Amino acid sequence: MIWMGIITVVVVALLGAPLFAVVLAAAMLGFLATDVNLSVVAIEIYRITDTPLLVALPLFTFAGYVMAEAKTSERLMALTRALFGWMPAGLAIVGFVACALFTALTGASGVTIVALGALLLPMLKEAGYSEKYGLGLVTTSGSLGLLIVPSVPLILYGIVAQQLDVGEPFTIQQLFLAGLLPVVLMVSALAAWTMWRHGDANRTSFNARKVWTSLTQAKWEVALPFVVLGGVYSGVFAISEAAALTALYVMVIEVFVYREVAVAKIPTIIRDAMVMVGSIILILGCALAFTNFLIDTEVPQRLFEVIQERISSRVMFLILLNVLLLLLGALLDIFSAIVIMVPLILPVAIGYGIHPLHLGIIFLANLQIGYFTPPIGMNLFIASYRFNRPVLDLYAACLPFMVVLLIALLLITYIPALSLWFL
Amino acid sequence: MLARVQRLLAQLELYLLGALFLTMLGVAFYQVIARNVFGGGLLWGDELVRNAVLWVTMLGATSAAGANSHICIDIVARFAGQGARHVIGRFTSFFTSIVCLTLGWYSIGVLYGDYVYQTPGFGPIPAWICELIIPTAAFVMGLRYLMRTLKPEIT
Repeated sequence: MIWMGIITVVVVALLGAPLFAVVLAAAMLGFLATDVNLSVVAIEIYRITDTPLLVALPLFTFAGYVMAEAKTSERLMALTRALFGWMPAGLAIVGFVACALFTALTGASGVTIVALGALLLPMLKEAGYSEKYGLGLVTTSGSLGLLIVPSVPLILYGIVAQQLDVGEPFTIQQLFLAGLLPVVLMVSALAAWTMWRHGDANRTSFNARKVWTSLTQAKWEVALPFVVLGGVYSGVFAISEAAALTALYVMVIEVFVYREVAVAKIPTIIRDAMVMVGSIILILGCALAFTNFLIDTEVPQRLFEVIQERISSRVMFLILLNVLLLLLGALLDIFSAIVIMVPLILPVAIGYGIHPLHLGIIFLANLQIGYFTPPIGMNLFIASYRFNRPVLDLYAACLPFMVVLLIALLLITYIPALSLWFL
Repeated sequence: MLARVQRLLAQLELYLLGALFLTMLGVAFYQVIARNVFGGGLLWGDELVRNAVLWVTMLGATSAAGANSHICIDIVARFAGQGARHVIGRFTSFFTSIVCLTLGWYSIGVLYGDYVYQTPGFGPIPAWICELIIPTAAFVMGLRYLMRTLKPEIT
């Protein structure tokens, strides 16, 4: 009977039922099988209110949606171009940096490809890069900033890991510090490869006036990362406080200073942002119930024992973890992957002596690549739709970028110091 | 008639979400300023914000149910034909509606318990009012998915 239930749940998940319902059904089945009253599920969902950090998600997401609605992407492009455009392979570096920053600010919802890709692609072509390279860059860079403040997936990992309360405790600030070098590594690896292959592409000359103009145009937005980053890294603000400041600040500057977002548009922006956040936090709430069932029945512990019988070395475990996460990243969206898989994997990883901060970085770096892993990575379809190209072209265009990022991923996975240098 | 009810409901969700979100943002912001400048904040401001997160989440989730935009694994839908997609859509909608209605039913039990025992929530507000959104959203989502089971084109 219980097996019938499990098979049904897996089948409906693969057929495309909403994931919150799938997770909820799994939790309900579990509690039914262990004779627990199902009202526990409602109580677990109410536990959403026990997590003070969670408020950061709706606030940062709203700020991202407002910026996506305004012309932030154009100002960001102009500024990064003035700053980096003179370097060899400069425009490509502009692309990587601008995409990474924009993704960090807006969450990896594909909005980077839509907003920045449309600006970048013609510019890259004009500067002498091939169409294939340009497509590859905009498709793969749409998830490049997942490890930078205030990336919502990174905060979500922190929340889920802290709920589990296993391994060494850590703060969200430390999580952001841990992501710093890995991002720098990924961007530098991509830049180095581009210089080697496409170093002869056109450059612009450095022009201090252009830097100044683009800087003054973007001055209100440029201040934001300093306030958020400075405030969070220095410990002046908690991450949820920084989120409140960011949301209000962004709304005020885009509506009243730049006047690019109409006041009448705000309710719709809120609704669109909350539809996304609501789906994520609801899955989290359902997963809290499911995780509770798993822990009651000691599933993670048994999973660890089973795995340890077969895999004794840490390196082997990490290799398998990479493979599993790449597959998951292509199959699941990043938020569900974090909420569903971290409670299972974190206790096992800690058993192999992996630090929770390091695991978080490995997790996100993998899922970032999963976003454009053929055949079904989400970025591939967004880019295909946005630029009106067959998905097969995008597979080919993304492949070299994927190889470079996989090499970076291996370094991040096997050199823990890259993520843990500050401990 | 049905279409009008749905439009009204969507409108209600839009403005309720907007009002709740802005309240949450306003109080959260006030707390930051009050804590860092005056060294104190509203006594139950933080609880209010945390409960607002729950309400905003559940309302966002009902809107997502209305727009059929809940997060899912869409591998089959992407490669299946039109006809197959229709059948699969009905089946997964039916499954989802059953799960939502079950959640709604059991959360009423929790709510009723907290009502009878007058469990405190935060400040002057009792717990059952804070929890009210869970069965409400669960039933609205359950009905929306049930309608999609019967008539897939209605959202």
